[in-house]
Amino acid sequence: MRAYQDFREFLSVLEQQKQLLRITDPIKLEPDMAAASAAATKLGNRSPALMFNNIAGYQNAQIVTNVHGSWANHALALGMDPETGVRDQFLEFVRRYRMFPGQLERVTSAPWQEVVIDKDINLFEILPLFRWNQGDGGFFIDKPCVISRDPDDWNNDDVENVGVYRLQVKDKNHLGIQTVPQHDIALQLAHAEARGEDLPVAIALGNEPIITLMGATPMLYTQLEYKMAAVMQGQPYRVVQNAKGLDIPYGSEVVLEGRILARKRQPEGPFGEFPGYYSGCHQYPLIEIDRMLHRKDPIYESVYVGRPWTELDYLQALTTSAPIFDQINATFPEVQAVNALYTHGLVLIVSTKVRYGGFAKAVGLRVLSTPHGLGYAKVIIVVDADVDPFDLNQVMWAMSVRVNPAGDVLMMPNLAENLLDPACQPSGMVTKMIIDATMPVPPDTRGDYGEILETPMGTDTWLQKLEALTKELQK
Amino acid sequence: MSATTQGSGVPVCPRCRSNTTEVRGVSPVAGVWTVYGCDTCFYTWRSTEGEQNTNPDKYPEVFRLKPENLPKLQVAPRIPPLQPKAQ
Ligand SMILES: [Zn+2]
Repeated sequence: MRAYQDFREFLSVLEQQKQLLRITDPIKLEPDMAAASAAATKLGNRSPALMFNNIAGYQNAQIVTNVHGSWANHALALGMDPETGVRDQFLEFVRRYRMFPGQLERVTSAPWQEVVIDKDINLFEILPLFRWNQGDGGFFIDKPCVISRDPDDWNNDDVENVGVYRLQVKDKNHLGIQTVPQHDIALQLAHAEARGEDLPVAIALGNEPIITLMGATPMLYTQLEYKMAAVMQGQPYRVVQNAKGLDIPYGSEVVLEGRILARKRQPEGPFGEFPGYYSGCHQYPLIEIDRMLHRKDPIYESVYVGRPWTELDYLQALTTSAPIFDQINATFPEVQAVNALYTHGLVLIVSTKVRYGGFAKAVGLRVLSTPHGLGYAKVIIVVDADVDPFDLNQVMWAMSVRVNPAGDVLMMPNLAENLLDPACQPSGMVTKMIIDATMPVPPDTRGDYGEILETPMGTDTWLQKLEALTKELQK
Repeated sequence: MSATTQGSGVPVCPRCRSNTTEVRGVSPVAGVWTVYGCDTCFYTWRSTEGEQNTNPDKYPEVFRLKPENLPKLQVAPRIPPLQPKAQ
């Protein structure tokens, strides 16, 4: 466990670990940024971050992508050994998650206050903005931490919110923001709009890696992301409070201050989104930027979004799995682990001990009523505790032999769903399914299950021996 | 006047063909690129992008928009009723 002061400190650790690749060749913002970043996602478990510093049209601009884009980088973000596997990262993530809450540490200044711009802001000239996918409606800031408070409970730190929401740069100082109704900020915006007031926001770009993970975590409305970041890094989380009372990470490169304009909507999109499809065009809220602060020669960070898997899938992997696990395990301690790695948990796998017939289906139903389940979880596969939900070979085995579709598939029509799921009918509504892939236990007597095969005694010892011998063989 | 430019030299919007466009920014290193934007559909493009993003005739059919359809787009999140002002 370790705390990174700022974005630059994490980049230097990635570089020491040979997990950052400097691209010094001249590049064009389009199409090189997208092509190189898409290619990086195909390099596997040790895929590095990419740092570009020779960008057409700029003297000093630097862009970094794929910062969280591999299990190695994800482990380093958590201060773990880069070789740590997914299941171990999940268990450690959950262990820290359960130490919530940690503390805020408010300080009075931060490096991003070096340069202040409060008039004639032109985002296009200060930030190296670019188009990710060809059909995108414009240039998107897609890895921001957006900070806001609840106008109906302004001084309550616990309902302050840090979220990662895509932002379309509309003109020199306006951004479109996507706030789907399931997001915390949508609740705060509704409160502001009912009052007829703008909602103040601060937008932090180029952050140390933990707060970005926390911003992507669907925690409860009353859980402050900074207090979760504190337990994730094992130290109080350092922030600077601005004039409006919004807490901004100490370690950011760039900060934009502005307001979501009350009761205004404007065309936004499309944008290539996490399901691997373009979102359509919608009428979304609009942010006006009043002030911009940044470090000298700020490093601009962005995340490529394409057909999974991409960096985005790593960002949303354990940050989705852990809270769902924590929430359902609180009511069902029998639940062992949750794998919500696939497309932000549209499909997810839960492993559980089964107390009696029908129990697994109740666990599946509980997933649907978690905050993330309300808007994402669509296909839920429940497996027994002897199946590792992160090992798809084992999951497919359970699906093969422990499912009788006649009694194990539950379909629930017309439930709420994130409007970005292209299978919705209509947008925002979908049928959800629970597949009970656990073995029936009394009083559920279906099936003809004899004795299950066991792993031979001593297999673990032999595994270690064979691993050592194999390494020898490869020398 | 060609299909892609108005008298002023600012191109029409490749996506919705409105002429409500303006220069949003130019490259800090002079003369490398210009970014244009449309105040009707808010499409943004850079002069150095390929024709599929810059030329209305080459812009993909599937992504084109008609200005008159923009008000019909789904609103999200919905705008709540104004609450009466407290006395
Ligand atoms: Zn247009």
